[in-house]
Amino acid sequence: MSAPSNAAPSNTAPSNTVAARALRWGPLAVFLILLIVLPLQLDKVWVNKITLWIPLAVAALGLNLLTGYNGQISIGHGALCGFGAYATALMINEWELPFLVAILLGSVFCFAVGVAIGLPALRIKGLYLALVTLSFATLFPQLIEQFSSFTGGTTGLAVTSPQEFRGAIRDREIKFQAPEWSGLADDQWRYFLFLALAAGCFVIVANVARSRVGRSLVAIRDNEVAAEVSGVNVATAKVFTFGISAALAGISGGMIAVYNARVTSGSFGLALSLAILVAVVLGGSATTMGPALGAISVSVFETVIKPELPKDFLGSIDLQPATPLILGVLLIISVLVAPGGTVGSWHHLLERLSHRSPSPTEAPNPSE
Amino acid sequence: MSEFFQFMFIGLGNGAVYAMIGLGLVIIYRATGIINFAQGEMAMFATFFVWTLTEVGLPLPVALLGGMLGGAIVGTLVHQFVVRPVGNPHEKPLAVVIVTIGLFLGFNALAQLIWGTEGKVVKPLFGNGEFNIAGVPIDHQKVGALAVLALEAALFYLLFKKTKIGLAMRAVASNSESSGLCGVPVNRILMIGWALAGAIGAVAGTFMAPISALDANLMQGPLIFAFAAITLGGFDSFVGAVVGGLAIGVLTDVVPKYVTFVDKMPLAPAFVAILIVLLVRPEGLFGTKKVARV
Amino acid sequence: MQRPHVARLAAILAAAALVVSACGRDEEPAADNDATETTVADGGGGETAAVFINPDTECENYEPTKGITGDTIKIGNVRPASGPFAIFGKVATGLETFVKATNDAGGVKAGDGKTYQLELVSEDDAYDPAQTPSKVQKLLDQDGIFAMVGQIGTSNNLAVRQTMNDACVPSVGLATGSTQWGNANEYPWFIGGLPSYATEAAAFIEYLKTEQPAAKIALIYQDDDLGKSYKGGIEKAIEGTEMTLVGEQPYNPLAETSPESKVVQLAGSGADVFFVGISGAPCPAALRAKPGDWNPLTYITITCTSKTAMALAQGKDEGVYSTQVLLDPTNPEDAANPKVTDFRTRAAAAGMSADDIDGGITTAGWNFGALFVRALELSPTVDRATVMNTLWKMQDETFGLLRDEVKVNSDGATDPWLIEDLRVIKRGGGQWAAVTEMTSYEGTSNDLAGPEE
Repeated sequence: MSAPSNAAPSNTAPSNTVAARALRWGPLAVFLILLIVLPLQLDKVWVNKITLWIPLAVAALGLNLLTGYNGQISIGHGALCGFGAYATALMINEWELPFLVAILLGSVFCFAVGVAIGLPALRIKGLYLALVTLSFATLFPQLIEQFSSFTGGTTGLAVTSPQEFRGAIRDREIKFQAPEWSGLADDQWRYFLFLALAAGCFVIVANVARSRVGRSLVAIRDNEVAAEVSGVNVATAKVFTFGISAALAGISGGMIAVYNARVTSGSFGLALSLAILVAVVLGGSATTMGPALGAISVSVFETVIKPELPKDFLGSIDLQPATPLILGVLLIISVLVAPGGTVGSWHHLLERLSHRSPSPTEAPNPSE
Repeated sequence: MSEFFQFMFIGLGNGAVYAMIGLGLVIIYRATGIINFAQGEMAMFATFFVWTLTEVGLPLPVALLGGMLGGAIVGTLVHQFVVRPVGNPHEKPLAVVIVTIGLFLGFNALAQLIWGTEGKVVKPLFGNGEFNIAGVPIDHQKVGALAVLALEAALFYLLFKKTKIGLAMRAVASNSESSGLCGVPVNRILMIGWALAGAIGAVAGTFMAPISALDANLMQGPLIFAFAAITLGGFDSFVGAVVGGLAIGVLTDVVPKYVTFVDKMPLAPAFVAILIVLLVRPEGLFGTKKVARV
Repeated sequence: MQRPHVARLAAILAAAALVVSACGRDEEPAADNDATETTVADGGGGETAAVFINPDTECENYEPTKGITGDTIKIGNVRPASGPFAIFGKVATGLETFVKATNDAGGVKAGDGKTYQLELVSEDDAYDPAQTPSKVQKLLDQDGIFAMVGQIGTSNNLAVRQTMNDACVPSVGLATGSTQWGNANEYPWFIGGLPSYATEAAAFIEYLKTEQPAAKIALIYQDDDLGKSYKGGIEKAIEGTEMTLVGEQPYNPLAETSPESKVVQLAGSGADVFFVGISGAPCPAALRAKPGDWNPLTYITITCTSKTAMALAQGKDEGVYSTQVLLDPTNPEDAANPKVTDFRTRAAAAGMSADDIDGGITTAGWNFGALFVRALELSPTVDRATVMNTLWKMQDETFGLLRDEVKVNSDGATDPWLIEDLRVIKRGGGQWAAVTEMTSYEGTSNDLAGPEE
């Protein structure tokens, strides 16, 4: 299904000139600095917008691990986010757990769900798996509906905690309160909390990808039989990857639940699954930073470009209904122009700039 | 008991539509190896052509033929200008999926822009009458849908098995490079595949629209069922699409009526059926087993 | 090989972060216009007792006149402009046209004597309640609107109810009749613009008492708040009567292809009354799905009465019942009514297409705008609390395209519903005709609602 990687494994000596190192690490450094600096400078509306990019990035990270590195295509990650969101919401409502604890516990639940899906997925391959996961994504809102007695059905479930309001203690939607010692505003505190959680996930996944486990995942993707013959326990690896991937999606969902203080099944269906897949591909699959960049690309369209579209285009055409059309066209163009995603194109550019044979990349990159 | 048969036929009627879209999906898969996410939206678009022609005064059957032609043209254009430039789907499966997702979004929004958001009326091709068989009322339209489905499946089967074009398609699907070297006009064959899929979409939509209303969302639900149909039946089998579609239709409309556990989850019985089938036969009921050199 | 780089990188980043965090951002100054400025909250006539909202005691960071610059009042609206539910966005089209028409006519003459122009800022949430909060936030913080008007979607409104109420920002004329909006004591900044669906059900049951006192009712209801409001309303209204609910089927338009099999199931229940509590295209589909040998007295929700929906019924709309509160621009009986001619002329002049004028969906949005303007006209001062308080003590008012006999009365504490007068109508020959007089359910809407699920 995918071509053999075209990059040599990373034991040839990298170019060590300052320029080469700057090119390789510079963008990452700038990106990280921006992540920390921006929320301190931007106003509340913008901080909230960029906070919402983080769950999408984490979900894309999970899908990337499963689809990019391990080759199992899933179009159902929106539903896994949904499992995490509802689990987190219910835990906060019923047991009044602190947000972070609820999110992490929710992801454990999602890990179990992922393993449960990963087992039959051993038998179901390629595009069949893709379509089965797609059916799963469609089934999820219906599942919520069936058990609406505790999920709230289509009306949704508010994430509440007992708070004092107008003289009485009532269940009201949760709010983030920045602690005094941080000196941050509530929205900034929420952003950094999410960022820390996401950063932890990214670091863990990056290390896994670089490790022996990561290489065995890629080996399974590229040639399962060869991997098995070489001693990789394919079944365990695949199921485990599904579990971890689902756990990450669960964290993403938990963040969304806690951000909106409300979960509705309609938010976790096919549309979200497609958005996550698009984020993975646009960013560059099987790369470390790909999911983050892809999530940003998708979100930039939704939160930045879309609202700013002129209402009066060529006279009286309201462009708002056309936004999916514009998004569709952009998707097609970006795939044609940059099939390796953002990261893939960046590496391509680096190769061309350094006028030499392909430099080692962070992980073997399938030519997309 | 009569109620049970009524549910069956409602399921068969809906299933016929899923199967028709499934046939379009199978054609493209057999010709190009791609799953076309935009199949439903292309069908919806072609159905709007049909509606526009009825608004101009043409009788529905003629409008349908016109819509099929329009659908074929749209399919051809999509292949030439969008799908072909991406490259070989076997090498870049994810890229192709994203492109068809882009088409899915694009066609939906374009239809809304051109024809607005209000539902349009499309009359049933076979009218509003019903047969009464042993006390069970069965719509003419549903029987007609099944007949048309059978006709389409038979035509496609004959095309692929008995004609030169069909042979060329099978060659291209099997190994496009070698086929090209043997003189098969690969691109033209692929175009024909997409054109056929576009045309059959118009038929599917013309049967779907009277069930609810013709608007941009006509095929959002049915597309999912069509995917389920070909997953059940096998991506590369016309018989599979037909059997799968009808089975999905029946499972969805009949089972939730009698099993309260899934009464709010119409897709669940179909999903379970697919899982069971795939675990036993990973290539679907009628799909061909892939044999690859390791 | 990579470790030293990472360590150095981390050090640089840490230093950068420390430097940068020293320069914070410009925090918005906490609203200086706080308690002391809102002197008008007590109704400007010493009627402190009659005021429903007292922002001094109830609001943190209350900004009474945010959104008013000079003589322009900025209002906001979130609606589904794209995606599968874009049809509901037509309601917002009506609101937009109303705003334009009002401005063209010179603006609003408010109760404080000044004339204001309206500016409408619209956002798209694709009917997804997960997107609504950020859009509303943008409208509140970035655009700085005075109030929301004609907000669409029950779940969407629920998603922002707490935030808006905590921020003390009005949402006037919610475009849903869910029974949820009867809770004005806890959420006083939200006021609905449609009659309660439960009241609508009760109005029909009231009519049935004279026509079919021992009715056996079969109900198909949308499996969400709209449908459940109808179900609860029916169950409440038939208590103590001879009527019974013999069949009920929920319907989920997102999961099911058509309501046909549910209708067939209901036909088997032996009912002689069929209540269709679904909105959108599945409603006429349900009418068409009735088996040929089943001819119950059929009722459709008020949200299904538009020209488009009736056309989709392909003839099966003949003889169905519904309720009505607004004037119908396509009905020859109402065509001469000055409110209708005013609507037709002004809407056309403001650019609304003939289809939209006749369509029946835009009139709802037009009405929400009219409600807001009426509130401005009656408000002695134009600030958020006063405008809301005005809405909470309406007396025998009317606005927009409400039928002449409809009287709008409200009281925040005891009567939070504005429109409680309805009349039952019947479809014949492609037109709606009244079968009852305008009946008042004043003050009873909360009682008529079923239990909150």
